[in-house]
Amino acid sequence: MIGGLFLYNHKGEVLISRIYRDDIGRNACDAFRVNVIHARQHVRSPVTNIARTSFFHTKRGNIWLCAVTKQNVNAVMVFEFLMKMIDVMQSYFGKINEENIKNNFVLIYELLDEVLDFGYPQKTDTGILKTFITQQGIKTQIETLVNGAKTKEETTQITSQVTGQIGWRREGIKYRRNELFLDVLESVNLLMSPQGQVLSAHVAGRVVMKSFLSGMPECKFGMNDKLVLDKGNKTNDELSKNSSGGKPSIAIDDCTFHQCVKLSKFESERSISFIPADGEFELMRYRTTKDISLPFRVIPLVRDIARSKMEVKVVLKSNFKPTLLAQKIEIRIPTPLNTSGVQVLCMKGKAKYKASENAIVWKMKRMAGMKESQISAEIELLPTAEKKKWSRPPISMNFEVPFAPSGLKVRYLKVFEPKLNYNDHDVIKWVRYIGKSGLYETRC
Amino acid sequence: MPTVSSRGDAMRGLAVFISDIRNCKSKEAESKRINKELANIRSKFKGDKTLDGYSKKKYVCKLLFIFLLGHDIDFGHMEAVNLLSSNKYTEKQIGYLFISVLVSSNSDLMKLIIQNIKNDISSPKPVHVNLALHCIANIGSVEMSEAFGQEVPKLLVSAHASASVKQSAALCLLRLIRTLPEAMTYAEWASRVIHLLNDQHMWLTAATSLIHTLSQLSPGDYKGCVSLAVSRLSRIVTSTYTDLQDYTYYFVPAPWLSVKLLRLLQCYPVPEEPAVRGRLVECLETILNKCQEPPKSKKVQHSNSKNAVLFEAINLIIHIDSEPNLLVRACNQLGQFLQHRETNLRYLALESMCLLAGSEFSADAVKKHRETVINALKTERDVSVRQRAVDLLYAMCDKTNSEEIVAEMLAYLKKADYAIREEMVLKVAILSEKYASDYTWYVDTILKLIRVAGDYVSEEVWHRVIQIVINRDDAQGYAAKTVFENLQAPACHENMVKVGGYILGEFGNLIAGDERSSPLVQFNLLHSKFHLCTPSTRALLLSTYIKFINLFPEIKPTIQNVLQNNNQLRNADVELQQRALEYSQLSSITSQDVLATVLEEMPPFPERESSILAKLKKKKPASVQVSLVGCFMCKDHATMSVLLNHIPVWVSLTPYLSPTFASVQVNYYIISTNASSNYTIVLFQQCLYMDAFDDVLTLPADLGESPSTESTEHANRPFMFKNSGVLFENALIQVGVKCEFKEQYGRVGLFFGNKTGNQLQNFAAAVSLGPEHQGKINVATQKEPPSQIDGGAQVQHFINLECISMFSGSPNLQLRYQHSSAPQQVTLKLPVIINKFMEGVDMNSGDFFSRWKQLGQPTQETQKIFQARHPIDTEAARTKLTGFGMCALTNVDPNPENLVGSGIIKTKTSQIGCLLRLEPNKQAKMYRLTVRSSVGEAAALICSMLEEHF
Repeated sequence: MIGGLFLYNHKGEVLISRIYRDDIGRNACDAFRVNVIHARQHVRSPVTNIARTSFFHTKRGNIWLCAVTKQNVNAVMVFEFLMKMIDVMQSYFGKINEENIKNNFVLIYELLDEVLDFGYPQKTDTGILKTFITQQGIKTQIETLVNGAKTKEETTQITSQVTGQIGWRREGIKYRRNELFLDVLESVNLLMSPQGQVLSAHVAGRVVMKSFLSGMPECKFGMNDKLVLDKGNKTNDELSKNSSGGKPSIAIDDCTFHQCVKLSKFESERSISFIPADGEFELMRYRTTKDISLPFRVIPLVRDIARSKMEVKVVLKSNFKPTLLAQKIEIRIPTPLNTSGVQVLCMKGKAKYKASENAIVWKMKRMAGMKESQISAEIELLPTAEKKKWSRPPISMNFEVPFAPSGLKVRYLKVFEPKLNYNDHDVIKWVRYIGKSGLYETRC
Repeated sequence: MPTVSSRGDAMRGLAVFISDIRNCKSKEAESKRINKELANIRSKFKGDKTLDGYSKKKYVCKLLFIFLLGHDIDFGHMEAVNLLSSNKYTEKQIGYLFISVLVSSNSDLMKLIIQNIKNDISSPKPVHVNLALHCIANIGSVEMSEAFGQEVPKLLVSAHASASVKQSAALCLLRLIRTLPEAMTYAEWASRVIHLLNDQHMWLTAATSLIHTLSQLSPGDYKGCVSLAVSRLSRIVTSTYTDLQDYTYYFVPAPWLSVKLLRLLQCYPVPEEPAVRGRLVECLETILNKCQEPPKSKKVQHSNSKNAVLFEAINLIIHIDSEPNLLVRACNQLGQFLQHRETNLRYLALESMCLLAGSEFSADAVKKHRETVINALKTERDVSVRQRAVDLLYAMCDKTNSEEIVAEMLAYLKKADYAIREEMVLKVAILSEKYASDYTWYVDTILKLIRVAGDYVSEEVWHRVIQIVINRDDAQGYAAKTVFENLQAPACHENMVKVGGYILGEFGNLIAGDERSSPLVQFNLLHSKFHLCTPSTRALLLSTYIKFINLFPEIKPTIQNVLQNNNQLRNADVELQQRALEYSQLSSITSQDVLATVLEEMPPFPERESSILAKLKKKKPASVQVSLVGCFMCKDHATMSVLLNHIPVWVSLTPYLSPTFASVQVNYYIISTNASSNYTIVLFQQCLYMDAFDDVLTLPADLGESPSTESTEHANRPFMFKNSGVLFENALIQVGVKCEFKEQYGRVGLFFGNKTGNQLQNFAAAVSLGPEHQGKINVATQKEPPSQIDGGAQVQHFINLECISMFSGSPNLQLRYQHSSAPQQVTLKLPVIINKFMEGVDMNSGDFFSRWKQLGQPTQETQKIFQARHPIDTEAARTKLTGFGMCALTNVDPNPENLVGSGIIKTKTSQIGCLLRLEPNKQAKMYRLTVRSSVGEAAALICSMLEEHF
């Protein structure tokens, strides 16, 4: 279990130090500073083992978060917790930076008392935490906040709710307008050979729900997952009618759900039904590796012209419906370490040689589907003392597209609220798809 | 002096860059800034624009800075080299700096750089010469030594070079000499270099360093520097001279120079001429006097430099070692330092005192400080100082104070640091042995030592106790008693159990009269420890038990019970199993008489150097002293003859340790019952020798024969491949041999050891040549052995041989002697075989085969095909062939499995060339051996000799 948690600023000064177990000494935070933050070689591994103590760290901006333990813990659990902790802090006081952390010392320590007990993670849901840690975070912009004192009734209610069966939703929520938002957020990861062969590709996706529903509604979520559909075909006639329309189904490799989803029902009936948490939460997370529609294709062409000159040509093809528009496109072409000058020529967008990053960066605001664009660059090289071969790092790119590259579709989301008298039709539902690039690389 | 550039040397760009880097908040930001700067410099160095010297210098500076931050720089070298040809000092300086830091010594640019340095060295401007010299010294590669090994000395002795250039040249030369001493020729400028000591200038210190190194390399050439150094030293030390007053450092005149001069003087023996010597002594006295004066300054620099000179002077005094007055004074001075506040001073004082304790003049003076040193041992906080204190105590120990010192060391051992414990244990063991006037004290001390620091007591220490106890009749009873008492402690160390087991096994009867230590009590006490010990100790204890059976027949059933216990008889450890089985058989089958002879008390050990001392020496590789025991341990064949003296000790200890002993002993005793106990040991020794020399362990087949006449045909075989070992051994005598062969001459050394306690009379050894050897070998006895050999003594006998022509077999050696008036005769084969006169000849494949073909006649070739006696192993066969005297040739035969050798047998009349091919067939496990020789007989002989060995 987690023995302690430290927060450092970029210089390695300790901002927050909370120790949960006696096996972690005060000197542990120095060990991490010396061996990781101030290490001569950049430490790439997120897990570092120093003197039989494991340090799990992640970095947000200039802040280092580090969990420490002497035991053999589940590393994924620790990182999951660190991410949650970051989410929680962000929702309390906005951006995580040194100033905000210094301003919210008391709040952070209070949060740390709550989210970990003797090193075991407890409730990390922002919504729930906000019901009993009512301190408002101090944001950099000063806001006046009204903080009403809670009555005794309310506190007992909180206790019963937090300890009750449905810990993520309190009773008696009322909205004038029942509304819900579904976001399907995906990130595509790709590694492609120069010849256009896919070496590895996968999509990591999340379904985020924002619900503003009254009472204790029960929801049912449907998507075009192969397993769900197959199951549906056998049992449910109604569903089979819908799916028989020839809509493609997708194969999800693995998925995880928010705690509100009834797993027993998922296991037995393959249906995702749940009582949603109030406000924003992540309904599910999934990963697919098959039949990914890659939004972009990068075709590199690198040629050595002379000993001190080389030419790079990159063709970019968009590979989706012409009616859709991709945004925030950025292509990063690495240059050799002995580059002494670069001339760039591109048809569309802006391209620039960034010496500080040793790369040519080509940016386009938007690009429609089924289009093609090209950049060519001439790179001058300086003769070097030793003939070291350039490692040729891959060309990477960033983008955002308004569809799910995995092919996932939301088929329905039904809301039932038997006690309050509103119907599934009365609920206003919004669905949005965003596909982003993860590590989208092509070797050259 | 440096010319100031018109644009100033500020290099604002560099300053801005450095401050940018320092302001970076994270590593990423820093590497971004550096990448940007590198790209900028690359675009500037592109080549289409010409840069002026200033910007070139600036960018090279930036590159240097980036490099020193830890990033790789792989360009800009050319620009740096260009800077060298600039005329401005600052630009040159940066260029040289970049080159000394960044350019690797195998770079392509090295030639260009050397050319530039050559230009600068011959430049009229001294600053340029200096820069070049610094660069040479900084690179200091072999290439530099070769290029400038001749130039730099010229500068050093040139008439018009300035002092600063000479200083640089001296230091540069020093560096080059250290890199490549052989590139220099010293003799030609030796005298001129020596006279540099007469110079008035500050660079003397540098010159002295140089002369110091040179005089270590070739002491003869620089002998003249002694008197000059002495006079220089006296000028510094005596205040009447003022020529070096400018170099006073915190009221100490030229401390560095003084230290270097004193060190230089330590390279040479004491000057002969009385005048010089007197002056030197006077100087040293003055230095010692100065230390008595009150300090002129409270600054630490003052005392440090004063002490530095003093310690170096003391080192010189120790080196001279013939001035009692000075030695005693030095010792007193050091005594004051022993209580100084400064830890470093205390350390140095202890270290120097260690050396002083070794000198006969100052040893007594050192002893006065015993109390202080003991105190230091107890109270000192720094472990290294404590270690020195231990060393000093060891060095100052003698008969008068040994008891106290050993007691103190033992007391300290309890809380001593782990790092120095083992060494301390050895020291205590040595001191207590060396100065023991009373062996009860010695036994007490060692037992206490084992009790206090059992883990650190090595094998040698407890072996030594046993040796001494066995050799001293007066200590045996006491030892048995104390050991018994010590064993009664509830937890005692395993080493204690070993000592206890051995001593009680030997002398348990001496204390058995007492009720409290009756045989059964003794046995039960030992056996209570049995289960807690490691197998080697258990094995020793089993030997003790069988000895008990002999000593105390009344407890025989109890012991037999233990021996026949399944825990022993079916022990997983083969050694224990074997001992238990054989001992129980021995005790049940044989009669009491036999038992008594077999298990007789161990004979006394011959006196020899303490093995502990050897071990201590081994721990300190600095004192290279090849002790006999050191050789003994290394098991080298060549030193085996030396070993002969020491084997009995080893062997008589080994019964308690070695795996094979028990079985041999018992086997023998079951066969023959009339031999003396010594003979078992002899037998065992033979086995042991076989073990040490050969892989095969064979027992002589004629075990039951009467030992009065014996022959040693079987023993001659191993000597075909080696030149020393034990030729023969029986109950009475041991014959060791060591031979040397060179061309046709041979020298055989024979060592006859009397193993009995009585004198061997009418001893005679003669080489007899049979008819087959007459005229083929000349024998001359160089040194006749005496006709009597005292009990336990050893005599030598040397024989010179000359091989006239080829012979087969080997000559005989007749031994005659009388033991207790019974005449004995032994005929031995001398290990003089024809192959001893063979020398290997290395040749290549072409040579070999052309000669092979020349010897193509059927009479010149012998071929044999035979079954392999040993597993086919090319490496082993190669080793054998080399041992045989041939040169095993590589890369001759196309098949690497085949072995090819060549050699020449050198006799007085002829030289016989022999070529050999050995072709193994691994499937059939057969060999085909072909030998061709210019003389057919030789081929046949060699073939038959070698046949048996593959």
